[in-house]
Amino acid sequence: MTPWLLVDINLPLDRFTLSVKWETSGPALGIFGPSGAGKTSILESIAGLRRGARGTVRVGGETWLDSARGIVRPPEGRGVGYVPQDALLFPHRDVLGNILSGSGRARRSGAPRVDPERALEVLELRDLRHRDVSGLSGGERQRVALGRALCSGPALLLLDEPLGSLDQPLRRRILPYLLRIQEEFAVPTIYVSHEATEVTLLCREVLVLEAGREAARGRPEEVFIDRAIFPMARAGGFENILTGRVVEASRSVATVELEPGTRVTVAAQGQSVGQDVIVAARAEDLILAVHPPTGLSAQNILVGEIREIRQPGGGDGGIDEDGGQVVVVVRVGRLGVPLLATVTAQACRQLALAPGGRVHLVCKANSLHVLATR
Amino acid sequence: MSPLLISLKVAGWVTVLILPPGVLLGLLLARGGFRGKSLIETAATLPLVLPPTAVGYLLLRLLGRYGPLGEPSLGFDLDLLFTWKGAVLASGVMALPLVVRTARVAFEEVDPRLEGMARTLGLGRVRTFVEITLPLARRGLLAAAILGFSRALGEFGATVIVAGSIPGRTQTLALAIFNDMQIGHDSEAMALVAVTVALAFAAVFTVEILLRKRPDVA
Repeated sequence: MTPWLLVDINLPLDRFTLSVKWETSGPALGIFGPSGAGKTSILESIAGLRRGARGTVRVGGETWLDSARGIVRPPEGRGVGYVPQDALLFPHRDVLGNILSGSGRARRSGAPRVDPERALEVLELRDLRHRDVSGLSGGERQRVALGRALCSGPALLLLDEPLGSLDQPLRRRILPYLLRIQEEFAVPTIYVSHEATEVTLLCREVLVLEAGREAARGRPEEVFIDRAIFPMARAGGFENILTGRVVEASRSVATVELEPGTRVTVAAQGQSVGQDVIVAARAEDLILAVHPPTGLSAQNILVGEIREIRQPGGGDGGIDEDGGQVVVVVRVGRLGVPLLATVTAQACRQLALAPGGRVHLVCKANSLHVLATR
Repeated sequence: MSPLLISLKVAGWVTVLILPPGVLLGLLLARGGFRGKSLIETAATLPLVLPPTAVGYLLLRLLGRYGPLGEPSLGFDLDLLFTWKGAVLASGVMALPLVVRTARVAFEEVDPRLEGMARTLGLGRVRTFVEITLPLARRGLLAAAILGFSRALGEFGATVIVAGSIPGRTQTLALAIFNDMQIGHDSEAMALVAVTVALAFAAVFTVEILLRKRPDVA
Protein backbone atom coordinates (compact mmCIF):
# COMPACT_ATOMS: atom_id res chain seq x y z
CA MET A 1 0.00 0.00 0.00
CA THR A 2 1.47 3.34 -0.97
CA PRO A 3 1.55 5.89 1.83
CA TRP A 4 -1.21 8.48 1.49
CA LEU A 5 0.52 10.78 3.85
CA LEU A 6 4.11 11.89 4.06
CA VAL A 7 5.05 14.55 6.53
CA ASP A 8 8.58 15.74 7.13
CA ILE A 9 8.54 19.14 8.73
CA ASN A 10 10.74 21.46 10.70
CA LEU A 11 9.27 24.46 12.44
CA PRO A 12 11.05 26.63 14.98
CA LEU A 13 8.82 27.23 18.00
CA ASP A 14 9.39 29.28 21.13
CA ARG A 15 11.03 26.63 23.27
CA PHE A 16 12.18 24.03 20.74
CA THR A 17 12.18 23.21 17.08
CA LEU A 18 9.39 20.95 15.99
CA SER A 19 10.89 18.21 13.90
CA VAL A 20 8.87 15.20 12.83
CA LYS A 21 8.96 12.82 9.95
CA TRP A 22 6.62 10.01 9.18
CA GLU A 23 4.69 8.40 6.42
CA THR A 24 1.65 6.25 6.77
CA SER A 25 -0.91 4.39 4.81
CA GLY A 26 -3.26 3.86 7.75
CA PRO A 27 -6.56 5.69 7.60
CA ALA A 28 -6.41 7.27 11.04
CA LEU A 29 -3.30 8.54 12.68
CA GLY A 30 -3.22 9.79 16.26
CA ILE A 31 -0.80 12.35 17.58
CA PHE A 32 -0.54 12.03 21.32
CA GLY A 33 1.47 14.05 23.79
CA PRO A 34 1.34 16.48 26.67
CA SER A 35 0.16 20.00 26.00
CA GLY A 36 2.88 22.18 24.57
CA ALA A 37 4.54 19.28 22.75
CA GLY A 38 3.83 20.85 19.37
CA LYS A 39 0.79 18.82 18.32
CA THR A 40 -1.27 21.77 17.10
CA SER A 41 1.73 23.18 15.25
CA ILE A 42 1.97 19.98 13.21
CA LEU A 43 -1.66 20.29 12.15
CA GLU A 44 -1.29 23.98 11.33
CA SER A 45 1.80 23.25 9.26
CA ILE A 46 -0.07 20.60 7.30
CA ALA A 47 -3.00 22.97 6.82
CA GLY A 48 -0.68 25.67 5.50
CA LEU A 49 -1.31 28.07 8.37
CA ARG A 50 2.30 28.17 9.55
CA ARG A 51 4.53 30.18 7.28
CA GLY A 52 7.70 29.10 9.04
CA ALA A 53 7.20 25.41 8.30
CA ARG A 54 9.93 23.87 6.15
CA GLY A 55 10.09 20.40 4.68
CA THR A 56 7.71 18.20 2.79
CA VAL A 57 4.01 17.47 3.04
CA ARG A 58 2.47 15.06 0.55
CA VAL A 59 -1.12 13.93 0.79
CA GLY A 60 -2.71 11.38 -1.52
CA GLY A 61 -0.08 11.88 -4.20
CA GLU A 62 -0.28 15.68 -4.14
CA THR A 63 2.55 17.83 -2.92
CA TRP A 64 1.38 20.55 -0.56
CA LEU A 65 4.77 21.62 0.65
CA ASP A 66 8.24 21.03 -0.67
CA SER A 67 10.55 23.75 0.57
CA ALA A 68 13.51 22.39 -1.36
CA ARG A 69 11.65 22.85 -4.62
CA GLY A 70 9.99 26.06 -3.52
CA ILE A 71 6.49 24.59 -3.49
CA VAL A 72 4.23 26.09 -0.86
CA ARG A 73 0.54 25.67 -1.53
CA PRO A 74 -1.68 28.23 0.18
CA PRO A 75 -4.22 26.85 2.66
CA GLU A 76 -7.04 27.17 0.13
CA GLY A 77 -5.14 24.97 -2.28
CA ARG A 78 -4.63 22.07 0.10
CA GLY A 79 -7.93 20.44 0.92
CA VAL A 80 -7.97 19.90 4.64
CA GLY A 81 -10.97 19.76 6.90
CA TYR A 82 -9.60 21.38 10.03
CA VAL A 83 -11.39 21.20 13.35
CA PRO A 84 -9.49 23.26 15.90
CA GLN A 85 -9.83 22.90 19.63
CA ASP A 86 -12.09 25.91 19.97
CA ALA A 87 -14.21 25.07 16.89
CA LEU A 88 -13.70 28.57 15.42
CA LEU A 89 -17.21 28.82 14.02
CA PHE A 90 -18.05 31.85 11.92
CA PRO A 91 -20.10 34.01 14.28
CA HIS A 92 -22.01 35.76 11.51
CA ARG A 93 -23.47 32.56 10.10
CA ASP A 94 -26.01 30.13 11.46
CA VAL A 95 -25.37 26.41 11.88
CA LEU A 96 -26.21 25.52 8.29
CA GLY A 97 -24.28 28.53 6.98
CA ASN A 98 -21.22 27.34 8.84
CA ILE A 99 -21.59 23.80 7.60
CA LEU A 100 -21.87 25.00 4.00
CA SER A 101 -18.86 27.34 4.27
CA GLY A 102 -16.62 24.98 2.35
CA SER A 103 -19.22 23.54 0.00
CA GLY A 104 -17.81 25.49 -2.95
CA ARG A 105 -14.53 23.66 -2.62
CA ALA A 106 -16.38 20.38 -2.16
CA ARG A 107 -18.12 20.91 -5.50
CA ARG A 108 -14.90 21.75 -7.32
CA SER A 109 -12.66 19.15 -5.72
CA GLY A 110 -14.18 16.02 -7.16
CA ALA A 111 -13.55 14.35 -3.80
CA PRO A 112 -16.32 12.04 -2.67
CA ARG A 113 -18.93 14.45 -1.43
CA VAL A 114 -20.53 14.42 1.93
CA ASP A 115 -24.15 15.39 1.64
CA PRO A 116 -24.75 18.22 4.12
CA GLU A 117 -28.13 16.75 5.00
CA ARG A 118 -26.46 13.46 5.83
CA ALA A 119 -23.84 15.25 7.94
CA LEU A 120 -26.54 17.12 9.84
CA GLU A 121 -28.25 13.83 10.47
CA VAL A 122 -25.17 11.88 11.57
CA LEU A 123 -24.11 14.70 13.86
CA GLU A 124 -27.67 15.14 15.14
CA LEU A 125 -27.77 18.80 14.18
CA ARG A 126 -30.91 18.81 12.05
CA ASP A 127 -33.02 20.62 14.57
CA LEU A 128 -30.32 23.25 15.06
CA ARG A 129 -29.74 24.11 11.42
CA HIS A 130 -31.03 27.66 11.63
CA ARG A 131 -29.74 28.40 15.09
CA ASP A 132 -27.30 31.19 15.75
CA VAL A 133 -23.95 29.63 16.63
CA SER A 134 -23.43 31.94 19.59
CA GLY A 135 -26.16 30.11 21.47
CA LEU A 136 -24.73 26.63 21.01
CA SER A 137 -23.26 24.49 23.78
CA GLY A 138 -19.65 23.34 23.63
CA GLY A 139 -20.56 19.91 22.31
CA GLU A 140 -22.85 21.38 19.67
CA ARG A 141 -20.15 23.78 18.52
CA GLN A 142 -17.70 20.94 18.06
CA ARG A 143 -20.24 18.97 16.07
CA VAL A 144 -20.89 21.95 13.80
CA ALA A 145 -17.14 22.36 13.28
CA LEU A 146 -16.92 18.66 12.39
CA GLY A 147 -19.80 19.02 9.95
CA ARG A 148 -18.21 22.06 8.33
CA ALA A 149 -14.93 20.21 7.86
CA LEU A 150 -16.64 17.10 6.47
CA CYS A 151 -18.75 19.02 3.96
CA SER A 152 -15.78 20.88 2.49
CA GLY A 153 -14.65 17.87 0.43
CA PRO A 154 -11.44 17.35 2.41
CA ALA A 155 -8.64 15.06 1.31
CA LEU A 156 -7.57 14.94 4.94
CA LEU A 157 -9.33 15.66 8.23
CA LEU A 158 -7.30 17.38 10.92
CA LEU A 159 -8.95 17.07 14.29
CA ASP A 160 -7.25 19.01 17.06
CA GLU A 161 -8.51 17.82 20.41
CA PRO A 162 -12.07 18.04 19.13
CA LEU A 163 -13.24 16.99 22.58
CA GLY A 164 -10.62 18.96 24.47
CA SER A 165 -12.81 21.77 25.67
CA LEU A 166 -15.55 19.43 26.89
CA ASP A 167 -16.01 17.83 30.27
CA GLN A 168 -15.65 14.09 30.68
CA PRO A 169 -19.31 13.03 30.35
CA LEU A 170 -19.71 15.19 27.25
CA ARG A 171 -16.52 13.79 25.73
CA ARG A 172 -17.97 10.33 26.12
CA ARG A 173 -21.11 11.46 24.37
CA ILE A 174 -19.33 13.01 21.38
CA LEU A 175 -16.88 10.14 20.94
CA PRO A 176 -19.46 7.95 19.16
CA TYR A 177 -19.97 10.73 16.60
CA LEU A 178 -16.30 10.59 15.74
CA LEU A 179 -16.46 6.82 15.35
CA ARG A 180 -19.56 7.18 13.22
CA ILE A 181 -17.81 9.73 11.01
CA GLN A 182 -14.94 7.32 10.47
CA GLU A 183 -17.26 4.54 9.45
CA GLU A 184 -19.68 6.60 7.42
CA PHE A 185 -17.42 9.00 5.51
CA ALA A 186 -14.02 7.27 5.53
CA VAL A 187 -11.85 10.41 5.20
CA PRO A 188 -8.20 9.95 6.20
CA THR A 189 -7.78 11.60 9.57
CA ILE A 190 -5.09 12.94 11.82
CA TYR A 191 -6.39 13.06 15.33
CA VAL A 192 -4.57 15.09 17.96
CA SER A 193 -5.32 14.33 21.57
CA HIS A 194 -3.79 14.13 25.00
CA GLU A 195 -6.37 11.48 25.90
CA ALA A 196 -4.95 8.00 25.52
CA THR A 197 -8.34 6.35 25.47
CA GLU A 198 -9.62 8.44 22.58
CA VAL A 199 -6.53 7.76 20.52
CA THR A 200 -6.76 4.02 21.17
CA LEU A 201 -10.37 4.06 20.13
CA LEU A 202 -10.08 6.19 17.01
CA CYS A 203 -6.65 5.43 15.60
CA ARG A 204 -4.77 2.39 14.39
CA GLU A 205 -1.48 4.21 14.59
CA VAL A 206 -0.20 6.77 17.04
CA LEU A 207 2.75 9.08 17.09
CA VAL A 208 3.78 10.15 20.56
CA LEU A 209 5.18 13.65 20.56
CA GLU A 210 7.40 15.05 23.28
CA ALA A 211 8.91 18.54 23.03
CA GLY A 212 8.59 18.61 19.28
CA ARG A 213 10.08 15.17 18.63
CA GLU A 214 8.75 11.70 18.07
CA ALA A 215 9.02 9.68 21.28
CA ALA A 216 7.32 6.55 19.97
CA ARG A 217 5.14 5.35 17.15
CA GLY A 218 3.01 2.29 16.52
CA ARG A 219 -0.32 0.73 17.39
CA PRO A 220 -1.87 2.64 20.30
CA GLU A 221 -2.60 -0.45 22.37
CA GLU A 222 1.07 -1.39 22.15
CA VAL A 223 2.63 2.06 22.34
CA PHE A 224 0.70 3.22 25.39
CA ILE A 225 1.70 0.24 27.53
CA ASP A 226 5.34 0.65 26.60
CA ARG A 227 7.28 1.31 29.78
CA ALA A 228 8.69 4.58 28.53
CA ILE A 229 5.36 5.90 27.31
CA PHE A 230 2.96 4.54 29.91
CA PRO A 231 3.50 7.32 32.48
CA MET A 232 2.52 9.84 29.85
CA ALA A 233 -0.41 7.74 28.70
CA ARG A 234 -1.54 7.39 32.28
CA ALA A 235 -1.37 11.12 32.83
CA GLY A 236 -3.57 11.26 29.76
CA GLY A 237 -6.21 9.03 31.32
CA PHE A 238 -4.98 5.68 30.06
CA GLU A 239 -7.59 2.94 30.16
CA ASN A 240 -7.50 -0.73 29.26
CA ILE A 241 -9.60 -1.03 26.13
CA LEU A 242 -11.45 -4.25 25.37
CA THR A 243 -13.77 -5.11 22.56
CA GLY A 244 -16.50 -7.70 22.61
CA ARG A 245 -20.09 -8.54 21.88
CA VAL A 246 -23.08 -8.25 24.15
CA VAL A 247 -24.42 -11.73 24.86
CA GLU A 248 -26.85 -10.92 27.65
CA ALA A 249 -28.46 -7.67 28.63
CA SER A 250 -30.76 -6.60 31.41
CA ARG A 251 -31.81 -3.16 32.52
CA SER A 252 -28.80 -2.52 34.72
CA VAL A 253 -26.02 -4.77 33.45
CA ALA A 254 -24.85 -6.39 30.28
CA THR A 255 -22.63 -9.41 29.75
CA VAL A 256 -19.97 -8.93 27.14
CA GLU A 257 -18.05 -11.79 25.59
CA LEU A 258 -14.49 -10.65 24.94
CA GLU A 259 -13.48 -13.95 23.39
CA PRO A 260 -15.00 -17.40 23.55
CA GLY A 261 -15.07 -18.31 27.23
CA THR A 262 -14.06 -14.91 28.56
CA ARG A 263 -16.99 -12.80 29.64
CA VAL A 264 -17.32 -9.66 31.70
CA THR A 265 -20.30 -7.97 33.28
CA VAL A 266 -20.52 -4.25 32.71
CA ALA A 267 -22.80 -1.47 33.86
CA ALA A 268 -25.18 -1.14 30.92
CA GLN A 269 -26.57 1.92 29.22
CA GLY A 270 -29.28 0.43 27.07
CA GLN A 271 -27.13 -2.02 25.16
CA SER A 272 -28.84 -4.91 23.45
CA VAL A 273 -27.80 -8.46 22.69
CA GLY A 274 -25.63 -8.87 19.62
CA GLN A 275 -24.09 -5.39 19.66
CA ASP A 276 -20.34 -4.97 19.37
CA VAL A 277 -19.08 -2.77 22.14
CA ILE A 278 -15.88 -1.20 23.36
CA VAL A 279 -15.31 -1.47 27.09
CA ALA A 280 -12.79 0.44 29.15
CA ALA A 281 -11.30 -0.06 32.59
CA ARG A 282 -8.76 2.13 34.37
CA ALA A 283 -5.58 0.41 35.51
CA GLU A 284 -6.29 1.75 39.03
CA ASP A 285 -9.64 -0.01 39.13
CA LEU A 286 -8.27 -3.53 38.66
CA ILE A 287 -7.61 -5.49 41.84
CA LEU A 288 -5.13 -8.36 41.90
CA ALA A 289 -5.58 -11.57 43.89
CA VAL A 290 -3.16 -14.49 43.99
CA HIS A 291 -5.83 -16.94 45.25
CA PRO A 292 -9.27 -17.34 43.73
CA PRO A 293 -11.31 -14.78 45.64
CA THR A 294 -14.77 -15.75 46.90
CA GLY A 295 -17.73 -13.95 48.35
CA LEU A 296 -17.05 -10.71 46.52
CA SER A 297 -19.61 -8.24 45.31
CA ALA A 298 -17.37 -7.46 42.35
CA GLN A 299 -18.83 -9.11 39.30
CA ASN A 300 -15.72 -9.86 37.30
CA ILE A 301 -12.84 -12.18 38.00
CA LEU A 302 -10.49 -12.86 35.12
CA VAL A 303 -7.63 -15.30 35.40
CA GLY A 304 -4.36 -14.37 33.83
CA GLU A 305 -0.62 -14.66 33.90
CA ILE A 306 1.78 -11.90 34.89
CA ARG A 307 3.93 -11.00 31.96
CA GLU A 308 5.90 -8.18 33.42
CA ILE A 309 6.20 -6.14 36.60
CA ARG A 310 7.39 -2.58 36.41
CA GLN A 311 8.84 -1.31 39.64
CA PRO A 312 8.85 2.36 40.47
CA GLY A 313 12.21 4.04 39.98
CA GLY A 314 15.00 1.52 39.60
CA GLY A 315 16.24 2.92 36.31
CA ASP A 316 13.01 2.10 34.59
CA GLY A 317 13.05 5.40 32.83
CA GLY A 318 10.30 7.71 33.89
CA ILE A 319 8.36 5.23 36.00
CA ASP A 320 9.05 7.52 38.96
CA GLU A 321 6.17 9.58 37.73
CA ASP A 322 3.84 6.76 38.75
CA GLY A 323 4.09 7.94 42.33
CA GLY A 324 5.65 4.75 43.68
CA GLN A 325 3.10 2.52 42.06
CA VAL A 326 3.90 -0.81 40.48
CA VAL A 327 2.45 -1.54 37.08
CA VAL A 328 1.56 -5.17 36.59
CA VAL A 329 1.10 -6.34 33.00
CA VAL A 330 -1.24 -9.33 32.85
CA ARG A 331 -2.13 -11.49 29.90
CA VAL A 332 -5.63 -12.88 30.09
CA GLY A 333 -6.47 -15.92 28.00
CA ARG A 334 -6.10 -15.15 24.34
CA LEU A 335 -7.11 -11.50 24.58
CA GLY A 336 -5.27 -9.48 21.97
CA VAL A 337 -3.90 -6.97 24.44
CA PRO A 338 -2.54 -7.43 27.93
CA LEU A 339 -4.31 -5.66 30.78
CA LEU A 340 -2.47 -3.22 32.98
CA ALA A 341 -3.18 -2.95 36.70
CA THR A 342 -1.51 -0.61 39.13
CA VAL A 343 -0.87 -1.62 42.74
CA THR A 344 1.29 -0.18 45.50
CA ALA A 345 4.83 -1.44 45.89
CA GLN A 346 3.83 -2.75 49.32
CA ALA A 347 0.98 -4.84 47.89
CA CYS A 348 3.32 -6.18 45.25
CA ARG A 349 5.76 -7.36 47.93
CA GLN A 350 3.08 -8.83 50.18
CA LEU A 351 1.59 -10.87 47.35
CA ALA A 352 5.06 -11.78 46.06
CA LEU A 353 3.96 -10.95 42.54
CA ALA A 354 6.42 -12.11 39.90
CA PRO A 355 6.45 -12.59 36.14
CA GLY A 356 4.95 -15.94 35.15
CA GLY A 357 2.73 -16.04 38.24
CA ARG A 358 -0.99 -16.69 38.02
CA VAL A 359 -3.27 -13.87 39.18
CA HIS A 360 -6.95 -13.14 39.38
CA LEU A 361 -8.01 -9.74 38.12
CA VAL A 362 -11.01 -8.45 40.02
CA CYS A 363 -13.16 -5.67 38.70
CA LYS A 364 -16.56 -4.25 39.60
CA ALA A 365 -19.17 -4.06 36.88
CA ASN A 366 -19.36 -0.36 37.62
CA SER A 367 -15.66 0.09 36.91
CA LEU A 368 -16.09 -1.29 33.42
CA HIS A 369 -17.84 1.20 31.24
CA VAL A 370 -19.01 0.95 27.69
CA LEU A 371 -17.28 3.64 25.62
CA ALA A 372 -19.02 3.06 22.38
CA THR A 373 -21.32 0.73 20.56
CA ARG A 374 -20.51 -0.22 17.02
CA MET B 1 -28.16 76.24 -1.46
CA SER B 2 -28.60 76.40 2.30
CA PRO B 3 -25.60 75.82 4.57
CA LEU B 4 -27.21 72.60 5.84
CA LEU B 5 -27.56 71.17 2.33
CA ILE B 6 -24.03 72.21 1.38
CA SER B 7 -22.72 70.55 4.53
CA LEU B 8 -24.63 67.35 3.86
CA LYS B 9 -23.45 67.29 0.25
CA VAL B 10 -19.82 67.86 1.18
CA ALA B 11 -19.85 65.38 4.07
CA GLY B 12 -21.67 62.82 1.95
CA TRP B 13 -19.07 62.99 -0.81
CA VAL B 14 -16.28 62.88 1.74
CA THR B 15 -17.71 59.68 3.18
CA VAL B 16 -18.07 58.02 -0.22
CA LEU B 17 -14.61 59.08 -1.37
CA ILE B 18 -12.48 58.40 1.69
CA LEU B 19 -14.13 55.17 2.81
CA PRO B 20 -12.34 52.92 0.27
CA PRO B 21 -8.83 54.28 0.86
CA GLY B 22 -9.52 54.64 4.58
CA VAL B 23 -10.70 51.03 4.90
CA LEU B 24 -7.78 49.79 2.83
CA LEU B 25 -5.28 51.71 4.94
CA GLY B 26 -6.98 50.46 8.09
CA LEU B 27 -6.70 46.88 6.84
CA LEU B 28 -3.08 47.38 5.91
CA LEU B 29 -2.24 48.77 9.32
CA ALA B 30 -4.23 46.09 11.14
CA ARG B 31 -2.86 43.07 9.26
CA GLY B 32 0.29 44.09 7.47
CA GLY B 33 3.72 43.58 8.92
CA PHE B 34 5.75 45.62 6.48
CA ARG B 35 8.57 48.14 6.46
CA GLY B 36 7.52 51.73 6.79
CA LYS B 37 4.31 50.80 8.57
CA SER B 38 4.90 53.29 11.38
CA LEU B 39 5.65 55.96 8.82
CA ILE B 40 2.30 55.44 7.08
CA GLU B 41 0.64 55.28 10.48
CA THR B 42 2.13 58.63 11.47
CA ALA B 43 1.34 60.28 8.16
CA ALA B 44 -2.24 59.09 8.36
CA THR B 45 -2.57 60.52 11.85
CA LEU B 46 -1.01 63.93 11.16
CA PRO B 47 -4.19 65.76 10.09
CA LEU B 48 -5.68 64.80 13.45
CA VAL B 49 -3.06 66.75 15.38
CA LEU B 50 -2.05 69.52 12.99
CA PRO B 51 -3.94 72.81 13.15
CA PRO B 52 -6.63 72.54 10.44
CA THR B 53 -5.46 75.87 9.09
CA ALA B 54 -2.00 74.38 8.53
CA VAL B 55 -3.51 71.53 6.51
CA GLY B 56 -5.67 73.99 4.61
CA TYR B 57 -2.72 76.19 3.86
CA LEU B 58 -0.66 73.25 2.57
CA LEU B 59 -3.53 72.24 0.30
CA LEU B 60 -3.86 75.80 -0.91
CA ARG B 61 -0.20 75.95 -1.81
CA LEU B 62 -0.43 72.51 -3.45
CA LEU B 63 -3.37 73.52 -5.61
CA GLY B 64 -2.46 77.16 -6.10
CA ARG B 65 -1.22 78.74 -9.28
CA TYR B 66 2.46 77.93 -8.60
CA GLY B 67 1.90 74.64 -6.72
CA PRO B 68 2.63 71.18 -8.14
CA LEU B 69 -1.10 70.63 -8.70
CA GLY B 70 -1.78 74.10 -10.06
CA GLU B 71 -2.97 74.75 -13.60
CA PRO B 72 0.42 75.71 -15.08
CA SER B 73 2.08 72.54 -13.75
CA LEU B 74 -0.69 70.12 -14.71
CA GLY B 75 -1.67 71.77 -17.96
CA PHE B 76 -5.32 71.83 -16.91
CA ASP B 77 -7.36 73.24 -14.06
CA LEU B 78 -8.48 70.86 -11.31
CA ASP B 79 -11.01 73.55 -10.40
CA LEU B 80 -10.96 72.76 -6.70
CA LEU B 81 -10.08 76.07 -5.07
CA PHE B 82 -13.11 78.01 -3.80
CA THR B 83 -15.55 75.33 -4.98
CA TRP B 84 -17.59 72.81 -3.00
CA LYS B 85 -15.22 70.13 -4.36
CA GLY B 86 -12.40 71.96 -2.61
CA ALA B 87 -14.43 71.74 0.59
CA VAL B 88 -14.73 67.98 0.00
CA LEU B 89 -10.96 67.70 -0.43
CA ALA B 90 -10.15 69.77 2.65
CA SER B 91 -12.59 68.10 5.00
CA GLY B 92 -11.77 64.72 3.46
CA VAL B 93 -8.13 65.06 4.39
CA MET B 94 -9.16 66.11 7.88
CA ALA B 95 -11.57 63.20 8.26
CA LEU B 96 -9.30 60.46 6.89
CA PRO B 97 -7.35 59.75 10.10
CA LEU B 98 -10.54 59.08 12.01
CA VAL B 99 -11.74 56.67 9.35
CA VAL B 100 -8.40 54.88 9.14
CA ARG B 101 -8.14 54.50 12.91
CA THR B 102 -11.67 53.26 13.39
CA ALA B 103 -11.39 50.85 10.46
CA ARG B 104 -8.10 49.60 11.81
CA VAL B 105 -9.63 48.79 15.18
CA ALA B 106 -12.57 47.13 13.42
CA PHE B 107 -10.21 44.82 11.53
CA GLU B 108 -8.04 44.17 14.55
CA GLU B 109 -11.06 42.81 16.35
CA VAL B 110 -11.60 40.14 13.73
CA ASP B 111 -9.78 36.99 14.85
CA PRO B 112 -7.19 36.23 12.13
CA ARG B 113 -7.65 32.55 12.94
CA LEU B 114 -11.17 32.80 11.52
CA GLU B 115 -9.63 34.02 8.28
CA GLY B 116 -7.16 31.12 8.35
CA MET B 117 -10.06 28.75 8.93
CA ALA B 118 -11.90 30.17 5.92
CA ARG B 119 -8.85 29.63 3.76
CA THR B 120 -8.50 25.99 4.80
CA LEU B 121 -12.09 25.64 3.62
CA GLY B 122 -11.00 26.65 0.13
CA LEU B 123 -11.70 30.39 0.13
CA GLY B 124 -8.97 32.50 -1.43
CA ARG B 125 -7.72 35.75 0.06
CA VAL B 126 -10.25 37.95 -1.67
CA ARG B 127 -13.25 35.75 -0.90
CA THR B 128 -12.09 35.39 2.68
CA PHE B 129 -11.99 39.16 2.96
CA VAL B 130 -15.40 39.61 1.38
CA GLU B 131 -17.16 36.70 3.10
CA ILE B 132 -15.51 36.66 6.50
CA THR B 133 -13.48 39.76 7.34
CA LEU B 134 -15.84 42.41 5.99
CA PRO B 135 -19.04 41.03 7.54
CA LEU B 136 -17.29 40.55 10.88
CA ALA B 137 -15.90 44.10 10.81
CA ARG B 138 -19.07 45.66 9.44
CA ARG B 139 -20.16 47.44 12.61
CA GLY B 140 -16.78 49.04 13.11
CA LEU B 141 -16.62 50.01 9.46
CA LEU B 142 -20.06 51.59 9.63
CA ALA B 143 -18.89 53.49 12.68
CA ALA B 144 -15.84 54.62 10.71
CA ALA B 145 -18.09 55.95 7.96
CA ILE B 146 -20.30 57.84 10.40
CA LEU B 147 -17.32 59.31 12.22
CA GLY B 148 -15.81 60.42 8.92
CA PHE B 149 -19.12 61.96 7.94
CA SER B 150 -19.43 63.83 11.25
CA ARG B 151 -15.85 65.05 11.14
CA ALA B 152 -16.41 66.43 7.64
CA LEU B 153 -19.64 68.05 8.80
CA GLY B 154 -17.82 70.01 11.48
CA GLU B 155 -14.67 70.89 9.53
CA PHE B 156 -13.86 74.60 9.55
CA GLY B 157 -10.20 75.61 9.40
CA ALA B 158 -9.01 73.72 6.35
CA THR B 159 -12.26 74.24 4.47
CA VAL B 160 -12.31 78.00 4.87
CA ILE B 161 -8.84 78.27 3.43
CA VAL B 162 -9.32 75.94 0.46
CA ALA B 163 -12.97 76.63 -0.37
CA GLY B 164 -13.59 80.02 1.13
CA SER B 165 -16.95 80.89 2.61
CA ILE B 166 -19.10 81.69 -0.37
CA PRO B 167 -22.76 81.82 0.67
CA GLY B 168 -24.87 79.35 -1.31
CA ARG B 169 -21.83 77.64 -2.79
CA THR B 170 -19.16 76.71 -0.27
CA GLN B 171 -20.55 78.08 2.97
CA THR B 172 -21.14 75.00 5.11
CA LEU B 173 -22.83 74.98 8.52
CA ALA B 174 -19.57 75.54 10.35
CA LEU B 175 -18.65 78.45 8.12
CA ALA B 176 -22.15 79.93 8.26
CA ILE B 177 -22.12 79.94 12.06
CA PHE B 178 -18.88 81.89 12.08
CA ASN B 179 -20.23 84.28 9.45
CA ASP B 180 -23.53 84.92 11.26
CA MET B 181 -21.72 85.48 14.52
CA GLN B 182 -19.38 88.03 12.96
CA ILE B 183 -22.13 90.09 11.44
CA GLY B 184 -24.20 89.89 14.62
CA HIS B 185 -26.93 87.50 13.43
CA ASP B 186 -27.02 85.78 16.80
CA SER B 187 -30.38 84.05 16.49
CA GLU B 188 -29.44 82.64 13.04
CA ALA B 189 -26.12 81.43 14.43
CA MET B 190 -27.92 79.79 17.35
CA ALA B 191 -30.34 78.01 15.02
CA LEU B 192 -27.45 76.63 12.97
CA VAL B 193 -25.68 75.53 16.16
CA ALA B 194 -28.81 73.66 17.20
CA VAL B 195 -28.84 71.85 13.87
CA THR B 196 -25.19 70.82 14.15
CA VAL B 197 -25.67 69.65 17.73
CA ALA B 198 -28.61 67.49 16.68
CA LEU B 199 -26.67 65.99 13.76
CA ALA B 200 -23.54 65.36 15.79
CA PHE B 201 -25.52 63.87 18.65
CA ALA B 202 -27.31 61.44 16.35
CA ALA B 203 -24.06 60.43 14.67
CA VAL B 204 -22.00 59.89 17.82
CA PHE B 205 -24.87 58.12 19.55
CA THR B 206 -25.18 55.71 16.63
CA VAL B 207 -21.44 55.07 16.72
CA GLU B 208 -21.57 54.36 20.44
CA ILE B 209 -24.25 51.76 19.88
CA LEU B 210 -22.38 50.25 16.95
CA LEU B 211 -19.13 49.96 18.84
CA ARG B 212 -20.66 48.67 22.05
CA LYS B 213 -19.07 45.36 22.88
CA ARG B 214 -21.40 42.55 22.07
CA PRO B 215 -20.17 39.24 23.41
CA ASP B 216 -22.00 37.26 20.73
CA VAL B 217 -20.16 39.02 17.94
CA ALA B 218 -16.80 38.71 19.62
